[in-house]
Amino acid sequence: MTDSDVPPVVRVEHLTKYYGARCAVSDVSFDMQPGEVMGLLGPNGSGKSTILRILTGYLQPTSGGAQVCGFDVVTQSLQARRCVGYVPEDVPLYAQMRVHEFLTFMGRLRGLEGAACARAIDEVVERLSFGPYRHQLIGKLSRGYRQRVAIAQALLGRPKLLILDEPTNGLDPRQIIEVRELILALASDMAVLVTSHILVEVERVAHRVAILLDGRLLAVQALADSRMGLEELFLALTEGEKQ
Amino acid sequence: MSSLSALVDKELRTLFQAPIAWIIIGVFLALMGYSFTLTLFNNRYATLVHIFFQVAGLLLLIVPIITMRLLAEERRAGTLELLLTAPVKEIQLVLAKYLASMAVVLLMIGLTAAYAVVLGLYGTPEWGPIYSGYLGLALLASTLVSLGLAVSALTSNQVIAAIVTIGVSFLLWMVDTLAAMLPDALERVLISLSLLARFTPFATGAMYASDAGFFISTTLLALFIAMRALARR
Repeated sequence: MTDSDVPPVVRVEHLTKYYGARCAVSDVSFDMQPGEVMGLLGPNGSGKSTILRILTGYLQPTSGGAQVCGFDVVTQSLQARRCVGYVPEDVPLYAQMRVHEFLTFMGRLRGLEGAACARAIDEVVERLSFGPYRHQLIGKLSRGYRQRVAIAQALLGRPKLLILDEPTNGLDPRQIIEVRELILALASDMAVLVTSHILVEVERVAHRVAILLDGRLLAVQALADSRMGLEELFLALTEGEKQ
Repeated sequence: MSSLSALVDKELRTLFQAPIAWIIIGVFLALMGYSFTLTLFNNRYATLVHIFFQVAGLLLLIVPIITMRLLAEERRAGTLELLLTAPVKEIQLVLAKYLASMAVVLLMIGLTAAYAVVLGLYGTPEWGPIYSGYLGLALLASTLVSLGLAVSALTSNQVIAAIVTIGVSFLLWMVDTLAAMLPDALERVLISLSLLARFTPFATGAMYASDAGFFISTTLLALFIAMRALARR
């Protein structure tokens, strides 16, 4: 089986999204293969989070479409969402819940019950190494541990696609390294779509990058194939656009 | 079903872990207990009609405090995105919020059944109006909870949600007072929309299917509005 025979985990076709009169995403198309880490790169307001929110079913596209694991994100939203684990940018969690309560709640939303839910929670707690904190109130956790809890809930139910929106925002250097290592480790089990406006972060984890500017996709580039570094590529593309 | 029960559990836990539900229930029971005792000793009638109207009046104030945070807080805190990107339908989320809030309000109303027990032990009350009164309160609570939920779905500010819900609830409660000043056709419409006019027969021992139908259809309409408000994002 060649790469082209493998059904893509994500297929985005001519995706366009308007907020009122403002175009946030314009005619964006790309695919993602299983096991691939793809970086969505672009300055603030370039449409990265909007694309993620469409893929997770939170927003509907104005035109064009997207599929996750073969399910249309609009017409088969529930099935598509079952394939996705998502960590939004600001890591919204329930501060008044304890970690294990929150993970049980999110596990049940994903259809896990009883012993299966407990096993899935043990698995993600071990993988993300926050065992000693599982009975803590989420509101008392540091930003780094909150991020781990958010990633843990996204991994419950073993999604085929993990979506991380700016996962290193607000983390200290040690935590950034840990998140980076985690993304690389997870890529063996699932496709990972990660956004960042920090070039070096994307460069260190992604196999391919999609570069966005003002809602338009400027390029999709495999990093291994690129003769120039990501910084040079990004500058070349964005400067070219400005001119 | 698993998602719905998980959402209801979480809502109940949130409501009862915070002191606000207990404070509301405590204050409500203290006021009602005071009123029941005073009226019983003064009038010596084995009836709960006055209690039903007082409970209904307090519900207009209390229910918006319970419902104000339901969706407004999820929206403000960003957790709505977490819920709606999980495999959860909008209708499950709305129903879970509705059921959990109704559980709190029905618990509150149910605890006043102690007064009926007292009347039964020391007097000979007519039980028909007592049963219909409680049914009327449950139906009124259902309309008020779903109305509060719909308003909470339209804003991310809890205070705005509470104030608007109180305003709309009071307006619907007494809208028939305007009726006498209007032409016949409008008069009938306003009376038919009045929560007070719909509730009074229940409180006084008469039950009409049209009144029950009004409370049920307003509940469904408000839940539908809440669902549409969630879907519009």
